[in-house]
Amino acid sequence: MTAPHDGNGRKVSSLAEIPTSIEPGRDLWPNIEARLKESPAAAPVTTGAHAIPAHLRRARPPWLAAAAMVASVAVGVWIGRSLLPGVGRGVEGTAATTAPSGFAAATDATVLDAAYVSDPRYQRQRAALLRSLPARLAALPPPARAKVLASLAAIRKAKEDLESALGKDPSNALLQELLVDTYQDEMRVLTDVREASEPGRGI
Amino acid sequence: MRIACGITLSLLTLAASGLAFAREDRTFDKTVAAQPRGVVDISDVAGSIEVSGWDRQEVSVHAELGDEVERVDVSSEGGRTTVKVVLPSHTHGHGEAELHVQVPKGSEIDVSAVSADIRVSGVLGVERLNAVSGDVTAELGDADVEAKTVSGDLRLKGHGSAARLHASSVSGDVHLEHGAGDFEGSTVSGELVVSLDSARSIRARSTSGDLRLEAKLAHGATVEATSVSGDVNVRAAAADGGFSYEVSTFSGDITDCFDIKPEHAGRYMPGSTLQGTRGEGAGHVRLKTMSGDVQLCDRS
Repeated sequence: MTAPHDGNGRKVSSLAEIPTSIEPGRDLWPNIEARLKESPAAAPVTTGAHAIPAHLRRARPPWLAAAAMVASVAVGVWIGRSLLPGVGRGVEGTAATTAPSGFAAATDATVLDAAYVSDPRYQRQRAALLRSLPARLAALPPPARAKVLASLAAIRKAKEDLESALGKDPSNALLQELLVDTYQDEMRVLTDVREASEPGRGI
Repeated sequence: MRIACGITLSLLTLAASGLAFAREDRTFDKTVAAQPRGVVDISDVAGSIEVSGWDRQEVSVHAELGDEVERVDVSSEGGRTTVKVVLPSHTHGHGEAELHVQVPKGSEIDVSAVSADIRVSGVLGVERLNAVSGDVTAELGDADVEAKTVSGDLRLKGHGSAARLHASSVSGDVHLEHGAGDFEGSTVSGELVVSLDSARSIRARSTSGDLRLEAKLAHGATVEATSVSGDVNVRAAAADGGFSYEVSTFSGDITDCFDIKPEHAGRYMPGSTLQGTRGEGAGHVRLKTMSGDVQLCDRS
């Protein structure tokens, strides 16, 4: 075993003999500055304690983040509804008490309702339309009422089918798009029914 | 005896003339001056509404009124003519009226009905047609058309003049023949059958109803059709520039007349897609379903 040497080749017998700082043989800054100028985008990252090399970093698509958020909310809602059945169904339940037969089955909320359309304004508007729907339906001619209920049932089934398919393939963009379309269709139907039965609309 | 017979005959004659008078009283006729490109609002709850365009600068209304109809109001002011069938408040909308309205052919019309059927012909201005359970049948002019029903069927027939056409129904069928320009149509459970002589854009959507689109695409035209469980059948012929296409379905089948097989998402994943280009690929065709089958062809 050989004794350690200091920077000048002398033998070191104690820690105190080791210099606390060593001056480099040449000025390193011009080279560092040149490298920094070559890759300006990397500069802020390299200042962090856990800097990631530029070649390893990739931009994450925003939809991936949105999909992940939607999926986590959906799972939360699913668990919440499974553990606490009946919670969050007050509006539909109230409406169903005075509604025509088939109304509740056609308009009851589906599992992902709250997850996919979390905008409170949308939720408020949908709840208001559902509250008034039994009265609106009652004002329609009976054959039209039956057909509207059938259409609302078709929308509900479509939502259930899409949610079931999303359960198997949560990141499927096609299914997500079709589900959003179906929510829009439901709102269109509810709005059309409200307008059709509105007094003083010139009809 | 002779006197008794005379009295009976007189009473019968009186009754008959009274009935005739009463029947005559249940028709309504009125004509008012109107602007050649004015707006005409027409509303009727039940019965029928027939609107036709003519060359006169007048709105003429002829109506046959059911027993429960109170009156017909016709007014014209500042380029807007209003025709409204008024029911007494206790009828709950059961009074029927058969309305025949002639309007200057350049008029913009706004027609509303509950269970009354609407028929429109010879009107060249903008048409806004709304019915709840009544059917709507309309000839398209050169201007935009917006037709909407809840459960009634829509039948629109154009002459190949480009316009913006918007047709939607909740449960009724939507049919369009010889349309042109931009079409947007939707139905929840009804069938949507559309043919356009020259299409700039088509957007069609259904929840469970089938979609059948046939169109000659203008250069760079776009076609988007989506359905959850309905089948989608598109025949798009691009006379100039061709089109690129992208078809995707989660669990339906895809067929085409290009001899191209769709790609499946994976061995353990449902879903298939079909992508490609016809001609130069100037237009774009996108078709999507969840469980409905999709057919795409570029010839009829």
